[in-house]
Amino acid sequence: MNIELKDLRFSYGPVVALAGVDLSLGEGACGLLGPNGAGKSTLLRILLGFLRPDRGEGRVLGFDIRHEQARIRRLVGYMPEDDCLIPGMDAVTFTAYFGELSGMPRQEAMKRAHDVLFYVGLGEARYRSLETYSAGMKQRLKMAQALVHDPKLLFLDEPTSNLDPQGRTEVLELIKDISSKKDIQVLVSSHILTDIEYTCSRVVILNQGKVAAQGDIDALKEIRFSLYEITTKGDNAKFLKALAGRGCKVEETEDGILKVYLPADMDRRGIFEAAVRESVQIRTFIRSRTSLEDLFARTVGVD
Amino acid sequence: MPIAEQGYTHWTGHFVDRRLPWWPISRLGIKMAFKRKFFKFAFALSFLPALIFAVGIYISERLEDFQFMFKGRKGSMSFLEVNPLYFKSYFGGDFLLFMMVMMMVLGGAGLIADDLRSNSLQLYFSRPIRKGDYLLGKLATAGFFLLLFTLLPGLLFILLKIIFAGSFKLLTAYPWILPAVVLDSLLVSVFFAAYTLLVSSLSKNRRYAAILIFLIYFFSDIFFSIFYGIFHNPYFCLLSIKADLQQVTAALFRVKPAFEVPWIYSLLVLAGLVLACGVVLVRKTRGVEVIK
Repeated sequence: MNIELKDLRFSYGPVVALAGVDLSLGEGACGLLGPNGAGKSTLLRILLGFLRPDRGEGRVLGFDIRHEQARIRRLVGYMPEDDCLIPGMDAVTFTAYFGELSGMPRQEAMKRAHDVLFYVGLGEARYRSLETYSAGMKQRLKMAQALVHDPKLLFLDEPTSNLDPQGRTEVLELIKDISSKKDIQVLVSSHILTDIEYTCSRVVILNQGKVAAQGDIDALKEIRFSLYEITTKGDNAKFLKALAGRGCKVEETEDGILKVYLPADMDRRGIFEAAVRESVQIRTFIRSRTSLEDLFARTVGVD
Repeated sequence: MPIAEQGYTHWTGHFVDRRLPWWPISRLGIKMAFKRKFFKFAFALSFLPALIFAVGIYISERLEDFQFMFKGRKGSMSFLEVNPLYFKSYFGGDFLLFMMVMMMVLGGAGLIADDLRSNSLQLYFSRPIRKGDYLLGKLATAGFFLLLFTLLPGLLFILLKIIFAGSFKLLTAYPWILPAVVLDSLLVSVFFAAYTLLVSSLSKNRRYAAILIFLIYFFSDIFFSIFYGIFHNPYFCLLSIKADLQQVTAALFRVKPAFEVPWIYSLLVLAGLVLACGVVLVRKTRGVEVIK
């Protein structure tokens, strides 16, 4: 396992940020989702050793997060969310500098910086001053500094924030390339659900400092709930009330289509039973594909 | 711009455990300082006192050749005698201290302020370096420039005197001069470096930090002058950073200090300030690290 956490707790004074996180992440790219204040950033900081947990234990790449922080940091790459580029430098110096701080010999850090900058698409601009970089170039440079020491695990905090659609697509392609072909495990924290769905095979959803769901995205969507799209004829109000009574969440679209989310313990037969009881005729009944957005909304309890 | 112009390759080298993990930070700081406007000019100007004192040492050994310069001026050559007072005049000189402040204003104000402004502390602390390494790296950057204007000229003066005199008379007459040069250089450099880092960590804006470095130094001296002018109490010299440095320098070179105040008080004031700098710096860097 790359990341293993047991009953991890952390508070900022009276504010509880993590209230007992149990987590186990293995191979592959994993998305870290959660509403604001769910504890995503705190979790990343604890994994990096910036913060000491109040309680609980954890291991990253086999190293203890309390006592072996330096070893973890050597093997982990971190791309922060905010701008963090040192003014007055060029990309090669910047990237090589952080390679050197990771423990690489100076000459090798410089050589590696060139390679990584070409990989992220900044080869031609590597001697330009960082002040002249666009938002997309800055994101790629942050990626380069995270990759320069060839980490085994990469933490990406909102990697596509402030990017135009083209830049976003390019960065997502890059993440996908890294996570799928390069033996580098990636943990992506993002608010953009489609980004997670595109780049990750697994997801961890945090809510109020706890893990609300974790696992393979496709499997989770299957297990957590099923979504059906129904058109009916008859008294919809009573039918909807009956479905709600059985634990279903129902949304009615402008086209009159009912989107019915079944709870995990309910069979689709229940929909028909409710229809028979309320004398409603079901005209169409289609099993719909659930998106990560649906899963997220249902898991954290928001619309 | 196309993405992935070149495929990703794994790095096959080995990490090294540096004996001085802070050295890359210092090296970059020194390199970046020279990129700043006016820094090179101030850097060159700061060597002026050292150059004048070095010429003075040469003249002191060739007095006959320079008699014409002092004709008719009784006792005017006494200042050319290379003794502890000569060294004290260099190390405690107003111009040198002023230039050291200017060097810190131009080259040191942004050492931490720039990192705070650019949020790059999180990048530093995501690497296998400790907070102490980071602070030591920044301290060494400032210390490098300060030692260039204190320790280096001090040692050079001793060496020049030995060469021009052709004897070790200076060292035999004043055997403590070499330790005094080293100690005073270290004291002045550590103090100014810590002071610069403290002020730099108080602001995200290097200009504010630069102004503060300048103002605190000069206002401490102005307050001293005002209070001393009103009350005529020499103990007010403890308020002045410059006076404190000059008192300790005088004591280290065994020269009578300018004010009738035990030099140890001045040393305690300076040590207290350095200690306070350390406490604040540790707290400030932790604050940034933890709370975004």
